[in-house]
Amino acid sequence: MKRIIFTLSLIFTNTLTLWAQDKIEVFPTVPYDRFIIFHTLAIFWIAIIGLIIIIRMKLKEIERIQKMGIDKEEKDIPLLD
Amino acid sequence: MNCQRLKNWFEERYDFEELKRLTKHKLVPTHQYEIWYYTGGITLFLFGLQFITGMVLAFYYIPYFEHAHKSIIEIVTKLNMGWFFRSLHHWGAQLAIVVLFIHVWSTLLLKSYRKPREFLWFSGFILLGISIFFGLSGYLLLWDERAFAAVRVATGGAGNLPIIGNFIKAFLRGGIDVTGDTLTRFYAFHVSILPLITLFLIGVHILLVQYHGMSVPLSLEKKPQKQIPFFPNLFYKDLIIWLIVLGIVVTLSTLLPPEIGQKADPLAPTPENIKPEWYFLFLFQTLKLFPGEIMGLNGEMIAIILISCGILFFFLIPLFDRKSSRGEKSFLFTWIGIIYFVYFVVMTVIGFLS
Repeated sequence: MKRIIFTLSLIFTNTLTLWAQDKIEVFPTVPYDRFIIFHTLAIFWIAIIGLIIIIRMKLKEIERIQKMGIDKEEKDIPLLD
Repeated sequence: MNCQRLKNWFEERYDFEELKRLTKHKLVPTHQYEIWYYTGGITLFLFGLQFITGMVLAFYYIPYFEHAHKSIIEIVTKLNMGWFFRSLHHWGAQLAIVVLFIHVWSTLLLKSYRKPREFLWFSGFILLGISIFFGLSGYLLLWDERAFAAVRVATGGAGNLPIIGNFIKAFLRGGIDVTGDTLTRFYAFHVSILPLITLFLIGVHILLVQYHGMSVPLSLEKKPQKQIPFFPNLFYKDLIIWLIVLGIVVTLSTLLPPEIGQKADPLAPTPENIKPEWYFLFLFQTLKLFPGEIMGLNGEMIAIILISCGILFFFLIPLFDRKSSRGEKSFLFTWIGIIYFVYFVVMTVIGFLS
């Protein structure tokens, strides 16, 4: 009986590995690696949002200066040097 | 040599001041439809991303039918971040084609192709065609059963064109059927021929945009226009959108990495319910609408001829739309554009669901 159960379980596990071979893993399977990847993705988005805020602030400042008209160079401006 | 000296060294040899003056004085119109201007910039950004990720993948990919599939599995499973670069390349390509379609349709509906911008339309349209061929050639490089069957169907479809069909089919396949020779051929297209043509056409397209300036929709052309400097105003806005697009591509690549099927076997039967890539679905679905034989003629051949005529008409729209070139509103071509768009979307959805 023990032998039959052992043989059946062996066949079952072998078949399982065969099924598993059908699908090729395209993403790291180790939980720790997965955690690091999702963690990095969250940090990446924080960095993107931060950069967008900085560029937006810079753009607002440029538009404010353009509205005031002090961004244009004056002709024949005396140079100090 | 410090930075100032290096700067002086270059300025003594090249007129950077002129270049700076040029960028400072370049103005772009700002209006309610300006959002469509960004689609061109997004496409350019995605093309750049494709070039970078493609170069990285080319270091490890083996373009030989016996090793191609295995080399991709090794890139994905064994190389550090290999899965990520392959996924970025896949999603970058998908998004580039989506944005290109949006860019083409926005150009069509805003009549930006009208005189004197006909060559802008032609160069852009050829770029769209090349991008689709990029997709098809890249798809076969996987050398899995789905890609193999899809390329067999696509090249077989081209073979139905009268007179030149068989030549195109044989030229693409490198023989009678899809074999290892087709893989080598598609690899050459994907990494050398198409990138060279693309770079040339992008250069021409950008030069033409600089030469003609941004197009303003007909409805706003006669109204007083507000303009903003390209640098830094529009450039910074472009940068923000590029960052968002990069975020989307990276997120999609991480959460939905593309699958790899079983290795292609030329002798095995075609897998059931095989479908081409989404941008070919409307063609695939149209072919299904036609019966095998129409008045004694091959139905598939008639379908391919009709589809080719439809695409050719779309390509030559700037020459047919006389009203827009005279500066008059042309509702007929707006409706034609809408019909093309609805047909494409409906057929793609049906093809996806069926």
